[in-house]
Amino acid sequence: MINGYAGRILEIDLTTERVEWKPLDEDIARLYIGGKGYGTRLLYDRTEAGIDPLGPDNLLIFATGPLNGSVAPQSNRFAVVCKSPLTGGIGNATCGGSFALGLKKAGVDVVVVRGRAKRPLRLEIDGDASEVNFVDATDLWGKGTYETQAILGKKRYHAVIGPAGENQVLYAGIVSNERIAGRTGVGAVMGSKQLKAVSVWGSRKLDMEDPDKFKAYTKEVRRIFKDHPVLGESMKRFGTGGIVNTTNARNILPTRNFKYGHFDGAMKISGEWIEDHELKGVKTSCIHCPVTCGRDVEVDGKVVKGPEYETLALLGSNLEIGDIKKVSEWNYLADDLGMDTISLGATLGFAMELVETGAIQNADGALRFGDPAGISEMIRDIAHRRGLGNELANGTRRMSEKFGGAAFAPHVKGLELSAYDPRGSFAQGVEYATTNRGGCHVQGASMYLESTGPLTINPQNLKLKADLPIVQQNLACAINSMVLCIFTTYGIVPKAIHAMNPNSWQHKALSLALENSGPVFRWAQSIKGSPMLWFEKWLTYITGQKFSSGHLQEIGGRIFNLERMYNLREGLTGADDTLPDRILYEPTFEHMKSGHPLDQLLPLYYKKRGWDAQGIPTARTLERLKVLH
Amino acid sequence: MATAAPSGARVQVQLTYDMSKALGVERFELDGVTTVADVVRLAQQRFEGGAGSFEELTSRAAVAVNGVLTSHRRGMRTALRDGDTVSFVKAAAGG
Repeated sequence: MINGYAGRILEIDLTTERVEWKPLDEDIARLYIGGKGYGTRLLYDRTEAGIDPLGPDNLLIFATGPLNGSVAPQSNRFAVVCKSPLTGGIGNATCGGSFALGLKKAGVDVVVVRGRAKRPLRLEIDGDASEVNFVDATDLWGKGTYETQAILGKKRYHAVIGPAGENQVLYAGIVSNERIAGRTGVGAVMGSKQLKAVSVWGSRKLDMEDPDKFKAYTKEVRRIFKDHPVLGESMKRFGTGGIVNTTNARNILPTRNFKYGHFDGAMKISGEWIEDHELKGVKTSCIHCPVTCGRDVEVDGKVVKGPEYETLALLGSNLEIGDIKKVSEWNYLADDLGMDTISLGATLGFAMELVETGAIQNADGALRFGDPAGISEMIRDIAHRRGLGNELANGTRRMSEKFGGAAFAPHVKGLELSAYDPRGSFAQGVEYATTNRGGCHVQGASMYLESTGPLTINPQNLKLKADLPIVQQNLACAINSMVLCIFTTYGIVPKAIHAMNPNSWQHKALSLALENSGPVFRWAQSIKGSPMLWFEKWLTYITGQKFSSGHLQEIGGRIFNLERMYNLREGLTGADDTLPDRILYEPTFEHMKSGHPLDQLLPLYYKKRGWDAQGIPTARTLERLKVLH
Repeated sequence: MATAAPSGARVQVQLTYDMSKALGVERFELDGVTTVADVVRLAQQRFEGGAGSFEELTSRAAVAVNGVLTSHRRGMRTALRDGDTVSFVKAAAGG
């Protein structure tokens, strides 16, 4: 077995309550690493086209990678892969917390769950004894994610759903500790299987090719992170919410259902404001992570996890709510009910605009921009599919199909947009349009290099805007397969660039050089040299295989194209690679005549990807990347 | 691009959080300014007298007009017009 892997896959059939332990497929591991990549390969190979995402034939795959179980910073994440009930295409999400560590300690790389339980069940996986218990979970059904985990106890590692998952809210997530695999409705799939929780434990240790090098280098990386302006300073001090004032100043903070990019009340929902006024002394992190991007706040007298940037934007500015206490309350509620705050906030904003236009009526008078009245109750109604909440539980695409408003429904492929308005971040717009799981920012995070980070390339011209998403999407696919936190990529821009005066000519020259690098940028990333970055070295020291930027670009490209083939198989087409009409045609900057220029960038992107004009990967591309092997 | 008003423009100045904390306001209005350089100079004056070091607070801050960085326009010479918002903006990463 390759070092870094436990070597076992656990297959569980909930219908028959049968279990099978199988060896990890080393060929797949070599081609796809693990995590999202390995899971996607299994889903593609082992499900028929057209299955019901909420039916027993869908697979719910929990997958780790070779970095999990190590003490590498930011490495305690697992991936969940399934067919998405929200998009009908590839579904996946990654999650921090502690479950990934538990799986590796149990000696399990991947858990594949199929079928549907006859009654609410939970699974207990004893890795040391290689035993799986199917335990009645009727007593837990209906309970929130926090109470469920408290009942299951701290000695084991859990992944659980809340009422939103049980009721198959299409953007329900899976929770580990206070972190969530939020996107694409993975929690709804778990709920459809009547699976309330998976608990795992064991005492296995990770085998490494060169543990001494790994240990010494990890110590060095911790020092680099500590000194880094993002990982050791801004994110540590302000969490992800430290970006609110930046996106607001750059006019890309979603406001009033993505109608505007600037919110006057932004400062009072920012990470800095939380630091000064709301923080309750504790900054939290996933296991072994020194970044501590989480922070605790008080809600109803309880100290709970505070909101992240996406939540601050989608449940704050997007609804024109500048009350941090309300946003914190809704964040806690959504986490406990077990649903994705990005899709939730975007859906609430869309519903508010539908109420304004008269397309839907809300007898309670709730759902008005700028008015927090009734939102808490609506969030509960969504999770329990009551009244109008039952409609909002289906997300913006299905709501627009029923009530109209498709032009301002903020989604791509059915997945609600994240909190970076692409009209001020063109590469991010291409990324939203083409990402296989839909409108998500952490499948590449191009916005950091073009709009919010220390480099100041022009985010509103066509230069680099087709190249950057490709490199970033490929890298994110690889990162999500190790499995590492995507925030690690923020460390790639060195401290020296952060230290430069952004108004200096040197800074401008550097930014211009990157902006004009185009094909050179992609070529430079594709070089299969020696491991340079920390995750390349970690993978190399742990597995004994050589990983460099070029290797990761190739593997990431393979995963991305496999996801693409899965989507095509499930009926998605190039026509789904688009953005909402509001984003395409309504300008938010004074110099713009229209919105995002996707029509100019998409053909370039397809060509550079090695796809035909319809967005289908060519046979040559698939052969080159060994996608169909 | 905007043409500066002959008698200068009335603009909103949006501060970074740290600048705001030092001055005790999130934003303020300036009248009679023609370029971004005017705004920076007048903003700097507000910090004189102990409100905090302007140089320190802005050492890593870029300047944007209505969301567009001045480095993509005419830098400090970028002309302003009535109703513009001039923001001091720091690099950041979110999630």
